[in-house]
Amino acid sequence: MPSEQAPSAETSRNGGPDAPLVVALLGNPNTGKSTLFTALAGIPTRVGNYPGVTVEEKRGRLTLAGRRIELIDLPGIYSLVARSPDEEVAMAVLEGRQAGSPQVDCVVVLADATSLERNCYLVSQALALGLPVVVALTLVDLAADRGISVDHAELASRFGCPVVPIVAPQREGLDALADAIATAADQPPPPVPAVRPNDIDDADGHSPAALEAMARYRWIEQTLDGVVTRSSPAQWSLEERIDEVLTHRIAGTVVFVAVMLAVFSSIFWAATPIMDLFSGVVDSLAAVLSERLPEGAIRSLLVDGLVAGVGGVVVFLPQIAMLFLFVAVLEGCGYLARAAYLMDRLLVGVGLSGRSFIPLLSSFACAIPGIMATRTIENRRDRLLTILVAPLMSCSARLPVYVLLTAAFVPNTPVAGLSWLRLPAVVLASMYALGVVVAAAVAALLSRTIFRGPPQPFVMELPGWRWPQPLVVLERVREACWSFLSSAGTLIVAVSIVVWALASYPYNAEAIDAEVAREKIVLAERIDALSAADGEATAALRSELADELALLGTEEGLEAARRGAASRQSFLGQAGRMIEPVVRPLGWDWRIGCAAIASFPAREVVLGTLGVIYNLGEVDPGEEEGSNMLIRRLRAATWDGTNRPVFTLPVALSIMVFFALCAQCASTLVVIGKETGTWIWPVVTFSYMTALAWLGALLTYQLGTMMLAA
Amino acid sequence: MTSLDRVPVGWSARVTRVVGDDPATLRLLEMGLTPGLTLRVVGSAPLGDPIELELRGYRLSIRKREATRIEVEVVETAQVALAGV
Repeated sequence: MPSEQAPSAETSRNGGPDAPLVVALLGNPNTGKSTLFTALAGIPTRVGNYPGVTVEEKRGRLTLAGRRIELIDLPGIYSLVARSPDEEVAMAVLEGRQAGSPQVDCVVVLADATSLERNCYLVSQALALGLPVVVALTLVDLAADRGISVDHAELASRFGCPVVPIVAPQREGLDALADAIATAADQPPPPVPAVRPNDIDDADGHSPAALEAMARYRWIEQTLDGVVTRSSPAQWSLEERIDEVLTHRIAGTVVFVAVMLAVFSSIFWAATPIMDLFSGVVDSLAAVLSERLPEGAIRSLLVDGLVAGVGGVVVFLPQIAMLFLFVAVLEGCGYLARAAYLMDRLLVGVGLSGRSFIPLLSSFACAIPGIMATRTIENRRDRLLTILVAPLMSCSARLPVYVLLTAAFVPNTPVAGLSWLRLPAVVLASMYALGVVVAAAVAALLSRTIFRGPPQPFVMELPGWRWPQPLVVLERVREACWSFLSSAGTLIVAVSIVVWALASYPYNAEAIDAEVAREKIVLAERIDALSAADGEATAALRSELADELALLGTEEGLEAARRGAASRQSFLGQAGRMIEPVVRPLGWDWRIGCAAIASFPAREVVLGTLGVIYNLGEVDPGEEEGSNMLIRRLRAATWDGTNRPVFTLPVALSIMVFFALCAQCASTLVVIGKETGTWIWPVVTFSYMTALAWLGALLTYQLGTMMLAA
Repeated sequence: MTSLDRVPVGWSARVTRVVGDDPATLRLLEMGLTPGLTLRVVGSAPLGDPIELELRGYRLSIRKREATRIEVEVVETAQVALAGV
């Protein structure tokens, strides 16, 4: 079990003989660093972010050749120059100035044998750190397939440090690596590579940093001369052919669409049975508690607050696990980078990059796994921008809201004279399109304003094709689920309990009974007034009101009415009345305002809340009976003291637009806070989305009303 | 003399100069796009951008905007010329 441990003082290069040896793993992305970490240390003892930055910190413990080792997995980087947060953290850890990180005793640099020249760039920088270095030559099996062989003994003598070839998935070479680490840690550091920027002839116009980069490659070419030999490749041509198909204009696009469909349907549909199973378990737990506990505040807190909150957390796990399974497999085999390559042009216009595609696509199922999947976006600016617009994608929680309101209030008429194209379908599709269009506009606007900066280079390695490592994939899935449960889960439960409290208190039985009694009188008076005025025109409304009155006579109906009155008198109900002036221009009465506020934990809650507010008690809007009851009650709802219906087509559309654009999902906001490491971004997301939702709903209602009047 | 974004798919080119002095240029140099290097344009994405390069034994994709900074000489070999048409 991973656990948070306080930074200990166990540790230092000059620590006692019993102190563990601190070993840092350094390497380019895609060099098999995760595979080596898992092969050496198994499940990490510590996973989290370095303080203040969204750079993952991963540590593990192991014993190598009789010595205890604390293994630090540094972020995958191409260069040890502090330009990106990843590079800054890596340098700070290696130089011993990262708060909470122990002093490093030995650096293991991974070098991918298939592209040794580029990998040696980082090696040459590591050799200059003044720390003992061991080079682990990875992917030597793949290199052999491509006809590349590396004389590692000769390379070791040229580097002046041990060079150990390994095949981490098969655990080949790990013993030799362990010995090399144990020995090297007590040796003096290797000689600093003789990189000579002054020797570059064509120096004019280049900065010292550029000249150094060129000189470093010159040193690498000299050092590797005669060390790497190439024979005729056995495999590279096959890899080339796979690559040719998968990045081909037509074939590549077809494969891409198929893969993305598989990813999307797996989180949208395939995860559903498991989610239902989880909610089933949570529901039966709630039922058992309801039976065993006496009625009262404690039962309500446990059942409606705590258990419902926990249910609201675990329900996300299947989707998170499923998406990270796909992401880890696609990343492991090298397709993730290809997908980004294929989609880049589409997203670059709105200020995003190809890497944003899978997170945004996943957000159509649920923004939470989508936002977590932005971890695969290396560029911080692109990642933040993707996180900010991901919640605008219409997730599956909005679908029930759209479906119910569409079924209830959108007439089933043909559009543009086409008999197969019906208005409800057009409305539903428009809601999805709205999210995409608004997200594109917001991303384009933000990237040209607050996120404007120096042009972001898009320089992405397309790693070679290889089989994903099952252990690495499982670890990725486990880690994603665990980090969601442990860091976001508790907060999400806390938010649900707070909202439960706001919806349940103050509770005044007398005031509730008084309100129910008043309701009976008002209903009776309205029926009388309607009968006196006109028989025919109001017959439907009259019978509906009579039904409502009759229901109040039954025990069940009375209980539902008392719950409705309690919810209207609660803090949430009061808040709903308070914000009525704000929601009036959207065509809403205060009850809709209440339901919108109460849906802060999750959007779909709005339907259930409307049911409670309209005295239906707990109806399940997902079931036909519940949905029909709710639709009937909504259609009959009138403005207080009048016979004017609340829910008209413009009002229904305005509610749908509001829920398409709003950020009424506490879990999403919590996850944004956790992923960005600051509370600024959830606040920004909530504010801008609520403002957009209000404006969108206002426009919809006002324009809709004008068009209906015309 | 031309820039890398104009080199057709399938052709090889030798880098003569990487223009600019900002982080983007440095990143290109760090990834091995140094003067004197011979690389091959392997392909381009369905919408024409980014492009895929093969250099120093690996594949790299860069946007055309970055490719304009890289001045190259097209290396014509018989084989490349045939494949390039």
